[in-house]
This record gives sequence, C-alpha cells and structure tokens, in this order.
Amino acid sequence: MSGSLNIFVLVKQVPDQGSKAGLNPDGTIDRAKAKRMLNPFDRYALQAALHAKKSYGGKVTAISMGPPPAVEVLLECLEHGVDEAFLLSDRRLAASDTLATAYALFKTVSYVGKPDLVFCGLQTTDGDTAQVGPQLAERMGLPQITYCEDFSVVDGKVHGRRIIEGGYQKVVSEMPLLVTVANSYHPLEYKSFRGAWKVQRLARNEEELKKFIHTIDLDLVGAEPDRTGLKGSPTIVAATEKVGELGGSCKMHEGQSVETLVQDVIKESQLNQFLIAS
Amino acid sequence: MSEEQVVDVSSFSPKGDVLVIAEHILGELQPVTLELLGAGRLLADKMERNLKCLVMGHNLGDIPQKLVEYGADEVYVAEHPDLEKYRTLPYRRVVCDFLESLPEPPHTCLLGSTTTGRDLAPRIAAHFDTGLTADCTELDIGPYEHKSKVDPTKIGLYPNCLYAIRPSFGESLKARILGPWKNPQMATTRPGVMTPLKPDGNRQGKIAKIKVDLKPEDHRLVVVDIVREVSKGVKLTEADVIVAGGYGLGCADGFDMLKDLAATFENSALGASRKVVDLGWIPYQHQVGQTGKTVRPKLYIACGISGAIQHRVGMSKSGTIIAINKDPDSPIFKFAHHGIVGDIYQIIPEMIKQFKEVQSGRGVKEVVGSH
Repeated sequence: MSGSLNIFVLVKQVPDQGSKAGLNPDGTIDRAKAKRMLNPFDRYALQAALHAKKSYGGKVTAISMGPPPAVEVLLECLEHGVDEAFLLSDRRLAASDTLATAYALFKTVSYVGKPDLVFCGLQTTDGDTAQVGPQLAERMGLPQITYCEDFSVVDGKVHGRRIIEGGYQKVVSEMPLLVTVANSYHPLEYKSFRGAWKVQRLARNEEELKKFIHTIDLDLVGAEPDRTGLKGSPTIVAATEKVGELGGSCKMHEGQSVETLVQDVIKESQLNQFLIAS
Repeated sequence: MSEEQVVDVSSFSPKGDVLVIAEHILGELQPVTLELLGAGRLLADKMERNLKCLVMGHNLGDIPQKLVEYGADEVYVAEHPDLEKYRTLPYRRVVCDFLESLPEPPHTCLLGSTTTGRDLAPRIAAHFDTGLTADCTELDIGPYEHKSKVDPTKIGLYPNCLYAIRPSFGESLKARILGPWKNPQMATTRPGVMTPLKPDGNRQGKIAKIKVDLKPEDHRLVVVDIVREVSKGVKLTEADVIVAGGYGLGCADGFDMLKDLAATFENSALGASRKVVDLGWIPYQHQVGQTGKTVRPKLYIACGISGAIQHRVGMSKSGTIIAINKDPDSPIFKFAHHGIVGDIYQIIPEMIKQFKEVQSGRGVKEVVGSH
C-alpha cells in the first residue's frame, strides 16, 4: 500500500451502567444525572483504528454524535493517540433512531473526508442494536466486516476474521471498508504518555483545543434536518411495560455449614444426574 | 407436493405479506429460521395474509420443501454459486431486488439476530429507509393510534402494526417499538426465543426460483474460508449444563474454578454475564443474555450473577436454575429455582469436592444415573 491510510473511528458516549448514580428508584435511568463513559464496545474499535495507524501508517480521526458533554469521550480518544476529532452536536438530533443516526453520521463522515477504513464498535450498551454500523455502510455504499475479531492489511486489501456461529469466516475485502469490531479483539491499550500530555495542555487552552476537536452541526455537514431526530426516525417506542415479577418460587437454601448446605442443594435439585459417569 | 418453477413473482399475492429471510450455514438450515416461520405464521394468520420465505444459497436440496413444512406458504429460492457462503453485498442485492420486484412490499420482514441477520437486516432497512428493531423477545400485530404532532404526516390510526417487543436498556422494562408508516416493518429475534411449528409433510406451498443478478461491486469482499471450531468445546446453545460467572467472581481467575466445576458435568459449557465479557475476563462467545446467546440448558448454575433483565432473557427458560450470590436482594433469586446466599469461593469448591466424591464412588450414590 503506497500512501497512508485515512482511518475513521466512530465512538459514542453512553450512561455508565455500572454506576448507581442517576438510577431512579423504579430502575429507569436519569440520563442527565447518570455517570457517562465511552461505550465499552468502542474501546475495541479505537484499539483497531490505532493499531491500523501504527502498523500501516496514516491518520486516525474520531467522530461522535451527541450532546456537548460527549466531547469527553473525544478527549479520551485524543489521550489514546487519535489525531483529530469531530463532534456532531445539534438539538434537532434528539430522539433519532438507528436509521436517523446512520444518516446523520453519513453526512458527517462525508463532510470530514474520504476514509479508507471506518471502525465502529459492535454495538452500544445503551441501544444494543448493532445496527448503526451496517446502516452507515449502506449509506456510504461500502462493503463491511461485522463481528471482526482480527485484521491485517496486505497489498491494499483487508484480510479479516469474522465471527460466525460456531466458528469464523476468513474474508478479504477491498477498501474503503467499514469494520465493526468484536470484543474478542485486543483490548484497548493504556493511554499514551504523549496523548495524555497533549490533552492536559489542550484542556488549558480552548483555542488550541478547537484545532483538534471540532464541534459541528447539521447545517455545516449539509444534512436535511427532517431526516434526523424524531421526524427522520421510522420507529418509535410506543409503550413500555414493567417486566412482571417472576416466580417467587425460588427455594432459598440456608446453611448450617457449607458442607451440609451444598449437600442439601445437590440432593434437592438432583444435580448428580448431570455428572460425568465415573 | 410443491411444484418448483421459475415464475414472475409479481403474480403472487399482491397484499403485503409476512416475509422471513431464511438462514443456513453451508446448506445447514439454522434453527432460528424455523422459529421465525413459527412466529411469522402467527402474524400472517392474524392479518389473514401469506407467509413468504426467501432462501439464498447454492445446491439447496430439500431446504425449500422443509420451509414449507415448517409453515411457509410461498418459498422463493435464489440459487447461485456466488451465494453459497453468506456475504453481505450479494445477499443484500438479492433481497433488495426481490423486495423491489414484488407488487407491494411485505408488511413485515423478519430475520434472526445472528451474526448473519444482524449483518444483513440493517443494510436492507437502510436501503428502504424503513424501521428495524433488533433482538425482539416477542412479536405481535395490533392497532396503534399516533397522535404526536411533531410530524403531521404520521398522525393516524394504524390497524395492523408490527409490535416489536424487546427489553429496554438498564431497566426492568419491556419496550414496544413500532414503525407502521413504512413497509416492510422489520425485526430480528434471537435464536431460541420463538417456537417453531411442528413440521407437516402434507402442508401445501408454492416454491419459486427467482432471478439472481449480482453486480461486479457486490464482489468487493470475498470469503476465503469458513472455519468451524469444533475443538473449542461444546457450543453454549447445545450444552446440557451451563456454569456461568458474573461480576461477583471478583476477577478473571474466578473462571478457572468455574471451569473445574463445569468439568464434572456431562456436555457442559461456561457462560458469562455481559459485564465480565466487557471487562475482558472471558471471550464474547461465552456471553449469555440479550446481547449474547439465548440458552436453554437442563441445568444453569449462575455464580455471582445478579440476574439483570438483559441476562435473564437469555437463560430464564433453563430447566433448573441454581443461583449463588452473596447479595440476598439480587434479582436472580426472583427467578432461580434454588438459591444460595453466600460466598462462591466457599460454596463452589465444596460442590466440586462432593461431585468428585460421587464420581469416584465414595459419595452418596442414590441419585446417580438417570442419564
């Protein structure tokens, strides 16, 4: 491959499910109060993008869509070694479903440039759909490797390993290409010293920061507002219902000693029938 | 008996039907397709419409006939050497061409939430600018009245909407997702959730071959090999016993102990909650739940798993569920059959010890041997 790769990585800020902050008593989430984090699946996409740059040369640009605080995850990307970042932030995007999101991201990606490789996380922890990546690939007219757990670039082609049920496919694809990265890919490495230092410096200088993180809106990327947000979303959440309390028939075993407790459970639930015969 | 002939598909039932896109790996029909036919049959009957099924591949043999036996009224067969192995772009081309050739788009289009369905469905939905709901646990047809004035073109009463029902994030809620404004209304369902019909060899159905017209740009990606990993142990969805670990294990090494426990059982596998998979304690292949696998083993031992709705939907149909957790308020104790509140690091080694005694013939033997 002559020349260097133009690598995009798409990231999203999601509520931190592990944190109790922002959790309403009824189990719903107050997104304004919840702690925020980089979507855990995107950590693998970020690692893949940085790996591609390190191995084959090029530039990594991170792109996100979300309210202004989402700039936090882009700073995190810079700390890890991403070169530049764009945040599409616009009130008209509120309530976008996956199709509307993919459209807005498509316009953003087209505005930012012509990527050779676009990396996305497999899915997000707040939406759980795994749809935006392939929908973006469709809008861009690109081939895709979803569930990609490893890849290399040889003679300008991407050789990838894609998980399927009970095994994997080996695929070879032309670029440009969109890849959604499985979480069996290598975990994200620690922040680079240079990256962390750079972000510390940028945090003190807003003008300087704007050179690395660009906040853009729908008008700038040339998106039709009616194709985003609630209006551009073909699906709506029409109703939610509480999942009924289940069973209540759980037999709780309490122990005299661990030994008798375990004996009790094994006997009552007839576990021995499942053992490998001696 | 069904007849097989190349026909003009536009001559068939011009109403918006229910369409299932079949899935197979190298000619091996995937169970989720039969489950979708079962679910699709109910939806089609409710609307008095036909159930269509599209199957793509090469040398499909008796698969089309089998699809009729499992409930399809019309089976469309796209056979071509380039369709032998699933690839996004060629399959996407066939599905899009097929949908465009119909006099009216299907009302509903269903795929499995598999690595194939989750790869293909979003491409189709984006191509037709239509709604898609992932990983549904229930499907139904019913009315909906849209009153919101945000988009006046959407206001109205819709008598037959696809209700796509799925657990909602971080909440003990189910969300009903609708998109009646545009057909097909699309959804994917997880393997193991829907119930297939009993196959009926006398069922009548039309089987028709359709034209395959791939373009050069559909071949930008090629599959050079498919590797089935038989050596990686029992497949999670086929195991009789699953020993699963969650955040309560405290660290990745905890799975070593669970592996020892699993090793005492016949046909067993290791499972995990999403949290520990996200943390990298165990690979994704072991994940049980909404974003992992749906399993139905005879025995499920949940160790340090709290039992959030996302996990529950993936395993609640297991035969016997045993939960071990130190927090007595864990939701898992609401639906497990046997619960132990305690330290997994005391209980599991004791369990292994007692099992080994049984296996070496020194233990209590009266309940051994029902398999």
